[in-house]
Amino acid sequence: MVPLEYYLLFSAAMFCIGVFGVLARRNALVYLMSVELMLNAANVVFVASSAHYGTISGQVFSLFTMALAAAEVAVGVGIVLVAYRKFKDIDITNPTSMRW
Amino acid sequence: MADVTAAVTAIPLVPFAAFLVALLVGHYAPRALPKGGALPGIAATAISLVLSVWAFLTVGAGGATVSQVWTWVPAANDSFALTFGLLLDPLSALMVVVVSGVSLLVHVFSLGYMNDEGETGLARYYAGLGLFTASMLAFALASNLLQAFVFFELVGFCSWWLIGHWFREPGPASAAKKAFLVTRFGDYFLLVGLVGVLGTFGTAAFAGDASFPALAHAALEGEASVNTFGVDPATWFTILGLLILGGVIGKSAQFPLQTWLPDAMEGPTPVSALIHAATMVAAGVYLVARLYGFYALTPTALTVIALVGGFTALFAATMALVKREIKQVLAYSTISQYGYIMLGLGSGGYVAGVFHLLTHATFKALLFLGAGAVIIAMHHDEDMWKMGGLKDRMPTVYWAFLSGSLALAGIVPFAGFWSKDAVLHHALTVGLGGQPLVLFAYLMGLVAVAFTGFYTFRMVFLTFHGEPRSETARDADAASANMRVPVAILGVLAAVVGLVNVDPLKGVVGERLLFLERWLNGPLPGLAGATAEHYHELVVDVAGFHGATVSPVVSAVVSLVFALTGVALAWTWYNVPEPVEKTDALGPAKTVLYNNYYQDEFQTWLATGVTEPLANAVDVFDASVVDGVVNGVSSTSLVASDRLRRVQTGVVTTYTTQLVFGLVVLLLIVLLLGGWF
Repeated sequence: MVPLEYYLLFSAAMFCIGVFGVLARRNALVYLMSVELMLNAANVVFVASSAHYGTISGQVFSLFTMALAAAEVAVGVGIVLVAYRKFKDIDITNPTSMRW
Repeated sequence: MADVTAAVTAIPLVPFAAFLVALLVGHYAPRALPKGGALPGIAATAISLVLSVWAFLTVGAGGATVSQVWTWVPAANDSFALTFGLLLDPLSALMVVVVSGVSLLVHVFSLGYMNDEGETGLARYYAGLGLFTASMLAFALASNLLQAFVFFELVGFCSWWLIGHWFREPGPASAAKKAFLVTRFGDYFLLVGLVGVLGTFGTAAFAGDASFPALAHAALEGEASVNTFGVDPATWFTILGLLILGGVIGKSAQFPLQTWLPDAMEGPTPVSALIHAATMVAAGVYLVARLYGFYALTPTALTVIALVGGFTALFAATMALVKREIKQVLAYSTISQYGYIMLGLGSGGYVAGVFHLLTHATFKALLFLGAGAVIIAMHHDEDMWKMGGLKDRMPTVYWAFLSGSLALAGIVPFAGFWSKDAVLHHALTVGLGGQPLVLFAYLMGLVAVAFTGFYTFRMVFLTFHGEPRSETARDADAASANMRVPVAILGVLAAVVGLVNVDPLKGVVGERLLFLERWLNGPLPGLAGATAEHYHELVVDVAGFHGATVSPVVSAVVSLVFALTGVALAWTWYNVPEPVEKTDALGPAKTVLYNNYYQDEFQTWLATGVTEPLANAVDVFDASVVDGVVNGVSSTSLVASDRLRRVQTGVVTTYTTQLVFGLVVLLLIVLLLGGWF
C-alpha cells in the first residue's frame, strides 16, 4: 500500500500548479481549469485519508466537492461568455470596473 | 342612581357650555352676546349652584356615590384602564357648593367691575371664567388622580388666561407666564407621582375598596401586595405622597413655590377673588384632603405638610406687614391662610383643615371683592397710602369688608376664629402628643396669628379710616349695586359660616352642633374609606399621631390674645386721622420684607447665575468632548477606509494574489505556532 505522505505530496504539487495557473494565466478558461486543479487536489487528500483511516466520510466529502465544482464551472463559464460578449476576448484582466 | 350621575355630570358641563357660548358667539356675533357673556355665565353658574346644592342634599340623605362616566383607555392585557368618573361624597359636595357659589357671585360682581367700566375683551374674560368654573368643578368631583391631574392643569391654564387678561401691558403678561411656569414646576412632581401611583397600584381611584389609599393601607397591614419597586412599602408611599405634594405646593402657593401668587394680582380683581383666593389655590389643599386616606398612612409626609404649612403661614404673614398695595396684602394673607390649612391637614386635623378651607374661601373672596370695589372707587389706584376715609363713601362695602377682616384676623365669633382655632388646637394637641416638629409648626402658626391681626387691620384702617389722603379718595363714588350685593352676601356669610363647627365650645354645646364634623364623619354607605372618622383612625393607628389632651378653650384664648394684640397694635398706630408708616422703624428689615426676602431675585439668580453657566459648561463639554469623540471616530474611519479601498483594483488577478498571499501568511502562522520550524 502506498503511504499517505505520497498522496499528500502529490496533492500539494497539484494545488501549487493550480495556484500558479490562477496567478499567472490570463485566459479565463485556463483560469477556471486551474481552480478545478486546486479543488481536485483537495479531493485527492479526502479520498486518500478516507482509505488510510478506514472511514467513509472523506469519500462522501469528495462527492460534495465534485458537485460544488460542477456548479462553480457552470457559473464561471457563464461569466466567461458574458465577458467575451463585452470585450470580444476572454482575457481576465480586461474587466476592471468591479471595484469601489 | 343614574339620575344622580347625570345631574352631577351637568354641574361642570353647564359652565362649560357657557364657555363655548362666550367663545363662539363672542367670536362670530359679538353683538348677540348679552353683557359680553356675563348673562350666560351667571345663568350657568346659577344652574350649577342649584345642582350642587341638590347634590349636597342628596349626599346628606345618604346618596354618596362613585360612578364611572367615560373610559379613556380601556384595560388591555392585564394592564389598567384610564377612566373619568364622579366621586360624590361629603367633601366634594361641599367643595362644588363653594366653587359654584363663589363663581356665581364673582360673575355678578364682574358686571360692575368689568362691564360698567367699559373694559374690552369681555367675551374672552367670561369664556375664561366659564372654562375655569367648569374645570374646577370637574376637579372637585374627580374620582381618580388622573382625572384630577387633567383638570388641575386646566385650572392652571385658565389662571394663565385670566391673569393675562390685560395682556397688552407688560406686567400682566409676564405675571401670567410666571404663574404658569411656577405652578407647572410643581405639577411635574405631581405627574411623576401620578405615574408612580398607577405603576404601584394599577389604579388611581380615590375612593372605594379598590382605590389606591385602601390598597396602600392593606399593603401596610400585609393583607395585599403591591409593586413597590423593591422599596419598603412605607418608604415608597411616603415618596409617592411627597411627589404629589409637589403639585400641591405649587398650586396652593406654599413655600418655596409661592412667588407666583402676589404677581398674579396683576389680573382683574374678580379673577383674584375667584381663582387666586377661593378656589384654584384651594385645589392644592383640596387634593391633600381628597387623598387623606393615603397621607394619613405616612407620618413623614404629614409632618412635612405641617412644617411647610406652619412655615408658610409665618413667612407670608411677615411680608404682608409692610405692603403698600391692598391686593398685595390680601395675596400674602392668602398664602399665609393656606399655610394654616396645610398645618391643619398635616397635623392630622382633616376636619379642621377642610373647615378652614371653607371659611377662608368665604371671607377671602369677600375681601377681594371688597378690595375690587375700593379699587374701582379709586380708579385703579391700589396704594393704601392714597386711600383713607372711604368708610363714609362706601358704607356697605366697609361693613362687609370689616366682617371679612374680623374673620381673617380670627376674632370671635367671626368665621376665621373658629376654623383657625380648630387648626391650631389640633396642631397643639398632636405636637404635645409626641411630635416636636408639629409643635414647632404650631408655634410658627401661633406667631403668625398676631401678624395676621396686625396686617389685616392696618389694611382696614389705612383704607377706610382716617382722613382721605388723595383727591381720588376724597371724590370716591359709592359702589354700584351689582358690586354691593355679592359683597354684602359674603359679608353676612363671613360672619356666620364659622358657626357650622364651633369646635372650641365642644364641651359646652356638645357634638350635636358640630355640623361640619358630623357631615364629614358620614356614615357613607359603600364609601366607608372616605369618612373623617376613618381618616382619624388612620392618623392615630398607622401614622401614630396621638393627641395630648388640651382644652380647646385654652388654645382658643391663647390664639385670640395673639390676634387681639396684633389688632390693638394696628389700632394705636393706624386708626388716627393722619397715620404714618410706623413699619419704617424696622429699618433694613422692612426693605427685606418689602422685597419678599429677595426670593424673586434669588430665583432669577438661580436661573442666570447657576443654571445658565451650568448649561453653558455642559454645552461646551458636549460640543468638545462628546461631539469630538463621535466626529473623531467618523473622520478616522473615513480617512482609513479611503486609504484601504485602493487595494480594490477591479482586476481579478490582484484579488487572487491577495487571497494567495493571505493563505501563505495563514499557513506560516499555523506552521510557526505548530512548531514546525
